[in-house]
Amino acid sequence: MQWQFSNDAPIYTQLIHQVKVGIVTGAFPPGERLPSVRDMATEAGVNPNTMQRALAELERDGLVYSQRTAGRFVTEDNTMINTAKRSLAERHVKTFLEAMLRLGFHRDEIIDLIQQELGEEETDHASA
Amino acid sequence: MLRKLIKHEFRATARIMLPMYLVLLITAVGSNLAGREMLDSRFDALNVLGVLVVMAFGFAVFGALVMSFVLMIQRFYKNLLQDEGYLMFTLPVSVHQHIWAKVIVSAVWFIATVLAVIGASLIVAYQGGFLREFLDFLRFFLEGFRKLKISEALNGTAVLAELAILMFLCLVAFSLQFYAALAAGHSQASHKMIWSVVCFFGFQFVLQFGGSMLMIGLNKLNLFDSLFFHWDPKPIVAIHVALLMSIGFTVLYGAIFYAVTVFCLKKHLNLE
Amino acid sequence: MPVLECKGLTKRFGRTTALDEAAITVEPGRIVGLLGPNGSGKTTLIKLANGLLTPDGGYIAVCGAAPGKESHSLVSYLPERTAIPVWMSAKQLMDFYGDFYQDFRRDTAEEMLARLNIRPGQTVKQMSKGTREKVQLIMVMSRAAKLYLLDEPIGGVDPATRDYILSTIIGNYNPEAAVVISTHLIADVEKVLDEVVFINQGRVVLQSTVDDIREEKGMSVDALFREVFKC
Repeated sequence: MQWQFSNDAPIYTQLIHQVKVGIVTGAFPPGERLPSVRDMATEAGVNPNTMQRALAELERDGLVYSQRTAGRFVTEDNTMINTAKRSLAERHVKTFLEAMLRLGFHRDEIIDLIQQELGEEETDHASA
Repeated sequence: MLRKLIKHEFRATARIMLPMYLVLLITAVGSNLAGREMLDSRFDALNVLGVLVVMAFGFAVFGALVMSFVLMIQRFYKNLLQDEGYLMFTLPVSVHQHIWAKVIVSAVWFIATVLAVIGASLIVAYQGGFLREFLDFLRFFLEGFRKLKISEALNGTAVLAELAILMFLCLVAFSLQFYAALAAGHSQASHKMIWSVVCFFGFQFVLQFGGSMLMIGLNKLNLFDSLFFHWDPKPIVAIHVALLMSIGFTVLYGAIFYAVTVFCLKKHLNLE
Repeated sequence: MPVLECKGLTKRFGRTTALDEAAITVEPGRIVGLLGPNGSGKTTLIKLANGLLTPDGGYIAVCGAAPGKESHSLVSYLPERTAIPVWMSAKQLMDFYGDFYQDFRRDTAEEMLARLNIRPGQTVKQMSKGTREKVQLIMVMSRAAKLYLLDEPIGGVDPATRDYILSTIIGNYNPEAAVVISTHLIADVEKVLDEVVFINQGRVVLQSTVDDIREEKGMSVDALFREVFKC
């Protein structure tokens, strides 16, 4: 897992986001036990209390659950993971659209551009 | 905790003093051999070697004596007032224990060094029959001492004990004067070493001035007259009185410097 | 009970006031950054908490008691300078710490030294400057103390050593104990901290949590620091 932080947002919200990405991409597979708070904090180079806070938040959302003594586990509920995946994707699309609109593109132009880009990718795949 | 401090203080100093004693032993044995064979030899080379070995012994004696003195100052300075002080003064140990550990260990090394030098000198002087002569001398000395004890009703053990105590206290007080000067000098914000030297001579001056005033004062009270002219004690009593008075003054002198050292280290410690 | 508390704490050196009515509270389980430019009073505050200086006014307490012999057994202190005697070997150093501090975990220290490939017989004199600092940190962090006072632990070391030091601090985290880190290199420690205390010219100008600063001001602590201490 690669941990990266920007300077403008609270660290715990960035941690929430990155653990979510980890779960969705399978770096933390469903049903798998998460490393201890201290180990995750050491790996990410962040304060253990901050990591604890982020995991508690994820727990409230249901993406992870804890068993009294065994530790914290990633949820096995695939619909929940898919929902998270979807919301992450929506967030990316939203920021993308905001940027495009700021550049002065219109809806149709944006769709064209995307289709063109996707087409190129397909030919790339075909030639490969 | 004092015991642990003393243990580690010995650990820190033994690595310097023990090799010093080893050099003393080797040069003493060498000098003994030199005295027997080399110095009277027909060969120049052996003569020269013999002289060098004897000189080396001289340096070793001088070195051991100087080293026990230098170490007394250097340990206090380096271990407590330099960077190591950050470690030492944050141990769960009181300032009193720090001072006692330093004082006791350096006094032990002073005594050990004197004994080592005496032992080494005996080795140098040793030759066939020496041991017998030496024992004869000791016996003669003890015999004289015994006669004195009988004729003057001298309690020899008491006098020797008083002498030993006095010597030990003198070493302690001597060390404390240096410690007080270093501690006071290092309470200053800068030029700590210069201040330490100034403090040392300042203390010396105050002490001598105070001592002289005390003597004059006592004299005015006609104490000495009553002691030495009207009072006619047996010599043995006079010895006791003199020794005990010396012990008293040494304790007073040491206590003053002890108090100065404690005050400076507790209230005005200012490590760089 | 706070692990470290001071109120109206004042220290003067001659005519300069090194610390001016400082008030700080550090609760157990917190990692607190004491941030300020050079000469702002960080070291003075840490020395006062260690009883290495005597305050001229105000109140300072470690675990409820004035700094002294008793508090020293609760506080693990990393001085700004290398204070471990250079003639000692790593083993002798562990003997020393083990003798004086009951909370010294020798096995932890041995493990950490082994991971750095430091032989027990190696003397401090034989070590490089960076290694000396690491060894000193290992001794300090191998204690199960209530309060760790780390004075400039990452000043003047290379980035790899910096990472090593910070991960050692995180790895040693204990909810009962608090850590105070003084530094002027904020960007490097920011993620490790719960709270920050800004100190300038002997005055405490801000005490806040890192995420509160980021949330409210929308900038990193480092950026805020640069703004507050702009020359």
